[in-house]
Amino acid sequence: MKKKLRNFIFQELVFVAEPEQFSDDDNLLEAGLDSMGIMRLIMFIENEYGVTLPDTEIEPDNVQSFNALEQWILRHQNG
Amino acid sequence: MNIKNGDILEKLNPADTFTLAMDEEIRRDGLAGSYGCFALELSNLPDIIELQQRITEFSQRFPVTQASLQQINRHFYWCKRNDPPQLFFQHLCPEDRNEEDFQQKIISDIINHKQAREISAPIEFHLLTGLKKHILFTRWLHPYCDARGVELILKYLCTADEAQRRQFGLPDTGPLVNVQLGKYRWWQKIGLLLKGKRYIGILDSLESIQPFHSDLPPERLNYMIQRLSEAQTEQALRQARQTVGLAGTSLYYIGCLMRALEKMHPDNPGEAYCAPYAFNLRKQRALAPVTGNHLSALFAQAPRAIVQDRQKLFAHLKQQNAQVIRQQLDYAFLPLMWAGAWLSLAEYGKTLRLSYGSGKERSSFWFSDVGRLDIPADSFPGAGINGVYHVCQVTAPPGLAFLNCIYRNRLTLSYNFVEPLGNSAQIELLHQFMLAELLGEGE
Repeated sequence: MKKKLRNFIFQELVFVAEPEQFSDDDNLLEAGLDSMGIMRLIMFIENEYGVTLPDTEIEPDNVQSFNALEQWILRHQNG
Repeated sequence: MNIKNGDILEKLNPADTFTLAMDEEIRRDGLAGSYGCFALELSNLPDIIELQQRITEFSQRFPVTQASLQQINRHFYWCKRNDPPQLFFQHLCPEDRNEEDFQQKIISDIINHKQAREISAPIEFHLLTGLKKHILFTRWLHPYCDARGVELILKYLCTADEAQRRQFGLPDTGPLVNVQLGKYRWWQKIGLLLKGKRYIGILDSLESIQPFHSDLPPERLNYMIQRLSEAQTEQALRQARQTVGLAGTSLYYIGCLMRALEKMHPDNPGEAYCAPYAFNLRKQRALAPVTGNHLSALFAQAPRAIVQDRQKLFAHLKQQNAQVIRQQLDYAFLPLMWAGAWLSLAEYGKTLRLSYGSGKERSSFWFSDVGRLDIPADSFPGAGINGVYHVCQVTAPPGLAFLNCIYRNRLTLSYNFVEPLGNSAQIELLHQFMLAELLGEGE
């Protein structure tokens, strides 16, 4: 899952000089993921993983890193 | 100018041509043209020699910077000139003049300077100096680049290390509009084009409310900059997050402005507020592409009755935006731009501006959220950067463009208005309403 998220974010949304150096805990918001990017990311996740991510949960804790994103998606996949 | 093949440096991409059509419209309205401006307010007199050297180096690295815009048959191209244009200007305030007034006058002259687009330099850097205030005022002709591109150019000028400066413009992807369009087969492009046309058709079923109610012909652009304190900025951003969430900050500004306009002129004719806004195709923090426009457009629209209810308005804008992205309508504007590039500028401009339904202006105002700027305050050659703001020309109607950015944790609002349709007193009032909305005190 994280590999797909990494590919999407680094290919479409955020430029990072050395993506392989960007850890799953590094901060995506500080790396430049902005509101439009988050919107696109959510649409990508919903299409890719068949989940609906509630608007009320779009907050920094859920989108700030690859690990946080994975946890967020898994919570809704399992729920 | 007699153009030979070897003179052509670059063909305008579909997004460049889109901004060129707007340039033509602004000129037809009797204004200077589609110029955008970016001001850096400096702490002291900078290192002028270093600054000039970097501007020269930049213009050699990116030759379009010295080009002339020329039409060859149906299309437009950046072409070499025999004499490179002057790119750097200095304006020293005379000792007996009030510095503030002097600088305001110079800036007003720069943004309203009328010049044929073939003669106009793609970009100019004006250093305004005085005893207390120093400003680097950059003005560019919109087909040359977009706001993000100018941010990159200023970042380039603020990069001391030559090896790091060489990273700008890399990787050379070419126009991102073409890269994105290249992902679609021709039938998919047509499908998207029809989808985009239908989407605009639906928007056009409601007549757009205009910000000003005046029959006077447009004369010149004026602007007003308002900077929120750090505490106000924090409060506005907290409100934005609570109201539209992390994914809709731009919508918060748009919604607040719609409400502020409605409070200012509740009787202006029309049925809905409609605001076009561009989104950038570059990845965040990417150093390329530098020149050219790499954007597509979206619309935010809300009927008057919804605008009057703050909660309903933001729920509506959020839902509209999610739907647009879900249905890929954000990318539907790309084939429209691609097709539009085949029209004459006059036809294209009319299509872009006028509602299919009413035949009147589609936009209630122009909007651009530049976001949090990524230029370190201590990076300018020989001076600190205290603040930044943007200015841009706009067609009239609507005669109002609202731009915002955040720099050093302060939200800066730039109201650009065409006189005499609008005036400073109206904009001052509009700002009072806008501020209350931003801070969540506008119920």
